[in-house]
Amino acid sequence: MCKYRLVVGALLISAGLWVCVPAQAQSFRVQCPDKTALHPGAKTDKGSIKCQHIAGSDGFATMADGNQIYLFGFAPLSGLEDIQGGLPGTELASTFNKPYSGPIVADLSSATHPAGGNVNAAIREPAMLMNMGVLAANAPAPLIAIDEDDELYLTLSNVGMIMRPDLFEQHTVHFHGYPNASSYFDGVPDASVAINIAGSFTYYYTAPDAGTYFWHCHITPPEHLQMGMVGQLFVRPRQNQVPKNTSLRDALVNTYKHSDGTTYDPCVADVLCSSPIPPAQLSPVKQPAAGAKYAYNDGDGSTQYDVEYPLQMMGFDPNFHFVGMTFNPEAFADMKDKYFLLNGRSYPDTVTAGVIATAASDGVSRPAQPLPAAIIIDKTHGQKRALLRISDLSVTEFSTLATVGVPMKVIGFHARMLRDEAGNNMFYDTNSITIGGGESIDVILDVSDPAYTAGQTFFLYSTNLDHLSNDAENFGGMMTEIRIL
Amino acid sequence: MKHPNFCVHTAALGAAVAAICAAAPAWTAVPGIVGANGPQTAAFLLDAAEGYSSQPDGASVYSWGYGCASAPTGYAPAAMTAISCGTMQIPGPTLIVNENDVVTVTLINNLPVAAGPTSILFPGFDVSTTVAGTQTGTAGVLTREAPSSSCDPTTHVGCNTVTYTFTAKGPGTYAYYSGTQGDLQVEMGLYGAVIVLPNATDASISSCKRGPFSLAAAAYKHPQSCYDREYLFELAEMQSSIHDEALAQKQACEGAIAANPTATCPLISAKTEPYHPNYFLVNGRSMPDDMDASFAPMYPQQPYNGNPHMHPNELVLIREIGQGRIQHPLHIHGNHARVLARDGNLLLAANDKLSPLAGGVPRLAGPLIFTFPSVSGQAVDAIFTWTGKGLNWDVYGHTAAANIPCVPDANGYYTSMAGAPNYGEYCADHNKTIPITPPDPQIVANGLWYGGTPYLGLSESAALGFPSTPLPPGTAKQNQSAGYAYMWHSHDEREITTNDVFPGGMMMMLVIDPPSAPIDEAK
Repeated sequence: MCKYRLVVGALLISAGLWVCVPAQAQSFRVQCPDKTALHPGAKTDKGSIKCQHIAGSDGFATMADGNQIYLFGFAPLSGLEDIQGGLPGTELASTFNKPYSGPIVADLSSATHPAGGNVNAAIREPAMLMNMGVLAANAPAPLIAIDEDDELYLTLSNVGMIMRPDLFEQHTVHFHGYPNASSYFDGVPDASVAINIAGSFTYYYTAPDAGTYFWHCHITPPEHLQMGMVGQLFVRPRQNQVPKNTSLRDALVNTYKHSDGTTYDPCVADVLCSSPIPPAQLSPVKQPAAGAKYAYNDGDGSTQYDVEYPLQMMGFDPNFHFVGMTFNPEAFADMKDKYFLLNGRSYPDTVTAGVIATAASDGVSRPAQPLPAAIIIDKTHGQKRALLRISDLSVTEFSTLATVGVPMKVIGFHARMLRDEAGNNMFYDTNSITIGGGESIDVILDVSDPAYTAGQTFFLYSTNLDHLSNDAENFGGMMTEIRIL
Repeated sequence: MKHPNFCVHTAALGAAVAAICAAAPAWTAVPGIVGANGPQTAAFLLDAAEGYSSQPDGASVYSWGYGCASAPTGYAPAAMTAISCGTMQIPGPTLIVNENDVVTVTLINNLPVAAGPTSILFPGFDVSTTVAGTQTGTAGVLTREAPSSSCDPTTHVGCNTVTYTFTAKGPGTYAYYSGTQGDLQVEMGLYGAVIVLPNATDASISSCKRGPFSLAAAAYKHPQSCYDREYLFELAEMQSSIHDEALAQKQACEGAIAANPTATCPLISAKTEPYHPNYFLVNGRSMPDDMDASFAPMYPQQPYNGNPHMHPNELVLIREIGQGRIQHPLHIHGNHARVLARDGNLLLAANDKLSPLAGGVPRLAGPLIFTFPSVSGQAVDAIFTWTGKGLNWDVYGHTAAANIPCVPDANGYYTSMAGAPNYGEYCADHNKTIPITPPDPQIVANGLWYGGTPYLGLSESAALGFPSTPLPPGTAKQNQSAGYAYMWHSHDEREITTNDVFPGGMMMMLVIDPPSAPIDEAK
């Protein structure tokens, strides 16, 4: 740390040399315009402006064996009601920009919010931002979800880590897997800027091609990721907006048009083409109903699903977290995860409905683990296909997830549909998938077979059998239930 | 430990390392040796020998590596002049051959006596160990081996050698590594790569243009495998205690022989399980050493670097090989890559009768990936590019007032004017202002690869309301052209450390230089 202080000192000296530059002196600043050149508010707008506000912070979570664990993490500062409901905290600009009138620190976990309050609005007033951000880290970090054609303004405000007043840690956001990323908004501190305590930075991207991405801090990754600064992010495809009874393939073909109106094969010019056109169909697949949901712009309906579950694989090394809380230097080579998590929880907490709250060091209970990992398919009400958006942010090892009872159909890998350039689906059925940190995979569980009936429960679990433990408890770990209702 | 700026941190470790960091940036293609000694033949005389690898924490780690027993027939690419091949290097010399060459590799075992025999496996090739009807070397488990150097080559000429012959049937990237006591010998550094170049006159690729530092115009006989630049990343890891143990046993053996010339030593038996590697390597080097020049004098036995550069819109061929015993998820910031092939096997769409590609060649079927899930012993070739398409702001910071042209080609890019400052730009985003107000540069921390503004090639732009970035006095800026920098690194993040110190390990930076900044890979 002493080396770091030297650098800070140098920065201060440097700042002193720059007094001639007009100081703009803003620190916290949340940016979310109501209108943009892309979204002027006209009826012809495609997509919308979406905004989200998060704090770089710290906090505590509860592991399935009852132990509390210290986190470096991201806290939600917008979409609080949605996040506590297991939903993304990404809001329309019109919602985001309302004055916040939700609960304040003392009743964060309260299930009752003021009626009519703008609980999903952004918290942007500096004192309130500190009050609501400090010790409020979530595991996993707030969920981000957008649609193709959206613009996303994501503001990160660094409220410091109150349990580690000795640290001057910066934070950033890396949009993991974004194609044609800008290095300025890529979150790598070496290649861009990093956000100091009491500062804000607004990241901007138009939605990339549909897929399962994820996000995390990129400061000292072995430390900040292990400590919990990891979250999920997915992009829904344009195909969801295709009108009822329109051919899905025609809709896809029409997105590949030259200015003179002729269509082209996207993969001839672009070796990274994300949505190859499927072979012509004898009877074209049409949009069955408004609101049909797809994982990708498939043009053949093959990635349709009824219900989706983001699942993030992760591991915590309790020793590393304890050392990280107690002002000691951490060892990287000996890092060994002992808690194996899906959405920041181990079994049986993975199937606990609703938020799991933890009392932090100030005695206030905060909803630190908002996202259950139970896979519920309501067949009674017509649900048959569940999309699992699986990402892995383990910093130590590759892991295998397997199902018993319901085979997995792998339809996507690294936020891209599994399809060759000629348009042939390369989906495959399997009982297990293996990925490492920094990878994602999309899997569909299909229970349309009459053999699957309401009341059945199956399991999704790690076949790295030592991962079915919660530290010293030899039962639990990276496992959740697939419940058919 | 916390500061993200590598060199500031590393400088604290030693002035010498700081000097390395301050040196001019360097980047290189895929240097290697060629063995042409006649039409469709290639011959290499390699040895296996001991040496030390230099690590950025100051450690010299006792290692074994392949090298050139004598000067090779030649080197490639021709544009690289500062190129050499020592008697021991990690990784071993990259063997560059042409499709259908008959390749002969003779290996001399110059390892210390206690290491015992050694060998080379060439997975993917049909290898013969017979020369003129006679078996070379001695029998081993996986292949014929070069016996220990304890045989007396002065009286039994060639007694510590073995010769492998194979036909380089298909183009692509292949691993080679020791087939003898692999848990120790590969760990010690006995691995390398074979690159087979396709027949350039094949109709499918005859229109591809070869870049000045490329080994070929295309990786395969497929028009979508054309590339402008290429980089080879051999990923591996080391547990230094194994190397320490091997060194101690080797020295004990040498001591015993010094005391009694007729003494025999037991073979080195190091504890290779449980495995806890503490060094994580790209081409034998850890960050930041991997970003120094290839053949830099500081690393006489680790000649190859990992420091990719490119221009927007260029096609970059990534040749990745998992050379260690564990998997490493190598995450590439910036964009997806299209997998072309695994172990030289081109992945093609089945029954693609409607292919619009030249000659009706089937279209590609490899996945798009943002992380190479590297597998031990496997080579993966993939094509990467970056255009900035879809950012919805002008990465060059151009405004309508500046009146700089961007004329879209059929695909929307400005490719009609070579030498234009925005050559390759996605024109739909031309002249669009960045949609956020950047923070005051004085309230954020600036990275050493940060160009100074959000814009490609602009280190300052007062006209755009963005003053240049105040960096601490005396710090070296790693990115003189204000390119866009992207970290390419293991996403098992504990592997971006060097013996417990962050930053380090399996990490490098891709720099996308503005079109106006030349990239001289010969440096």
